[in-house]
Amino acid sequence: MTTVAWLAVAVIAAAYVLIATEWIHRVAAALGGAVLMLLIGATDAERAFFSEESGIDWNVIFLLLGMMLIVAVLQRTGAFEFVAIWATKRARGRPFRVMVILVLVTAVASALLDNVTTVLLIAPVTLLVCERLAVPAAPFLIAEALASNIGGTATLVGDPPNIIIASRSGLSYNDFLVHLAPLVVLLMVVFIGLCRWLFRRAFISDPQRAEAVMALRERDAIRDRRLLIISLVVLAAVTAAFVLHTVLDLEPSVVALVGGLVLLAASRLNAEQVAKDVEWPTLVFFAGLFIMVGSLVNTGVIDQLATAAVDATEGRLLLTSQVLLVASAVLSAIVDNIPYVATMSPIVADLVQANGGIGSAQVLWWSLALGADLGGNATAIGASANVEVLGIAARSGQRISFWQFTKYGLVVTVVTIAIAAPYIWLRYFVLAG
Amino acid sequence: MRAADLVLPYPTVRSDTPVIEAARLLAGQNLPGLIVVDDRGQPFTILPGTEVLRLAVPGYCQDDPTLARVVDEAAADVFLRELHERTVAESLPRERRELPVVEPDATVLEMAALMARTRTPLVAVVEPDGALRGAITLDALLDRVLAQ
Repeated sequence: MTTVAWLAVAVIAAAYVLIATEWIHRVAAALGGAVLMLLIGATDAERAFFSEESGIDWNVIFLLLGMMLIVAVLQRTGAFEFVAIWATKRARGRPFRVMVILVLVTAVASALLDNVTTVLLIAPVTLLVCERLAVPAAPFLIAEALASNIGGTATLVGDPPNIIIASRSGLSYNDFLVHLAPLVVLLMVVFIGLCRWLFRRAFISDPQRAEAVMALRERDAIRDRRLLIISLVVLAAVTAAFVLHTVLDLEPSVVALVGGLVLLAASRLNAEQVAKDVEWPTLVFFAGLFIMVGSLVNTGVIDQLATAAVDATEGRLLLTSQVLLVASAVLSAIVDNIPYVATMSPIVADLVQANGGIGSAQVLWWSLALGADLGGNATAIGASANVEVLGIAARSGQRISFWQFTKYGLVVTVVTIAIAAPYIWLRYFVLAG
Repeated sequence: MRAADLVLPYPTVRSDTPVIEAARLLAGQNLPGLIVVDDRGQPFTILPGTEVLRLAVPGYCQDDPTLARVVDEAAADVFLRELHERTVAESLPRERRELPVVEPDATVLEMAALMARTRTPLVAVVEPDGALRGAITLDALLDRVLAQ
């Protein structure tokens, strides 16, 4: 490798250490790394901003932006609070049933929207319900973070790693639905069983307290019916367009962006206020990551890694898919799964090509997605949703420690990966053959 | 006119004081805000009345204001009961803000500017060694300024 290539490896390694340890803010680490890559000549403005192979992936950035705009309007409708409280009341205030309903709402919402937004919306409702029931909120919040990562696995837009994978692989929204959603349904059934056992001490039923939940007035959550109807219509249209995006010949990023802007215009809300709710630092973080990973592509590092991976796994697709699944889960537990998938995507793309292309070797993309998405559950820092839940719990005075989260997260990750591994084997090797 | 001419003794709370007690002190003595002192008796933070109320409002209603609407009237009437033994320290915002504190030789304009900048209706007056002498409220400050 050239000196520039070694320097590029050093820069990205240092940036990942800073992101994982949070010594500096992740946006500063990603942008700082990108600037260094430009300075050492590992990339340049032309490639960083305009190259499809080694530049900023604008499809990912604009898909995220569009979805963030939709969520920014949707969260002003009170629909989420309405659904969560209405569903909780159907559980008649029985704690386990309440948990089941809240994790199901979280999982479904996480599949349609992004995980962080979902937990930010569901966690305050959970705190209210748990206060009414006089049960500790921590088990419910942990279960929701875990459910959001499992539910988000089901769709292209559900989890940021899936968005990156979709953009790099060319897999469609329906591919994700067909290949991942059935497994996610199975995982949710198993997860609910696990919740019953893991959090068994939290389910103390008190009929008097249950009455306090039944007194909540979910209808009052919705103030502006027009805004609610418009938001739901646009969300349904966007989801339909995602499903049909290959037929319509529209990139998912275009669908999301058009949906976000149409909703913003139709909502008559103050655009400046809505734009403040877009997570701009996250978008900048992605841009920095893409420039760093693109620098590894430019300097030939990714090619060398991919060649080594192809040589090591030649002809052994089953073994490769299983190793990729488990290794992705382990690494995503330690580092944020977004930078992990951003780095791995070009390597997996080469592996897929070497193993017969998207037709026969797309299983590797599913291994990467499942490993990264489900591995994010293993520790409190494995996924952004986990970090957000810990923050909300601390602000409400119900602190969840790193290990308190991790001891549950590890069990759920091990069980879900243990189910995903035979799913991959059965679906793509036994039944496909 | 200097801060030393206007300062009056002012009740204080500690960071381990239950929020409910802090709220009672505020209401019982019609105070515009509270001075929270540390173990050495020096001002740790100064909270306007609305900030004291913020300590008492459930966190979920602050994260999601919509939830304040869905709580039924009977429960809403007694939201303070849910505070239990929650202390001021547990409810304080994480980010530290500028402390509205002056020394006894501060002028009226200095104090007014500090109140306006920190949006706090009182300033604490501390000796050069940090010991709390008392406080000057917005009312007292305006009374003296307008009387001239």
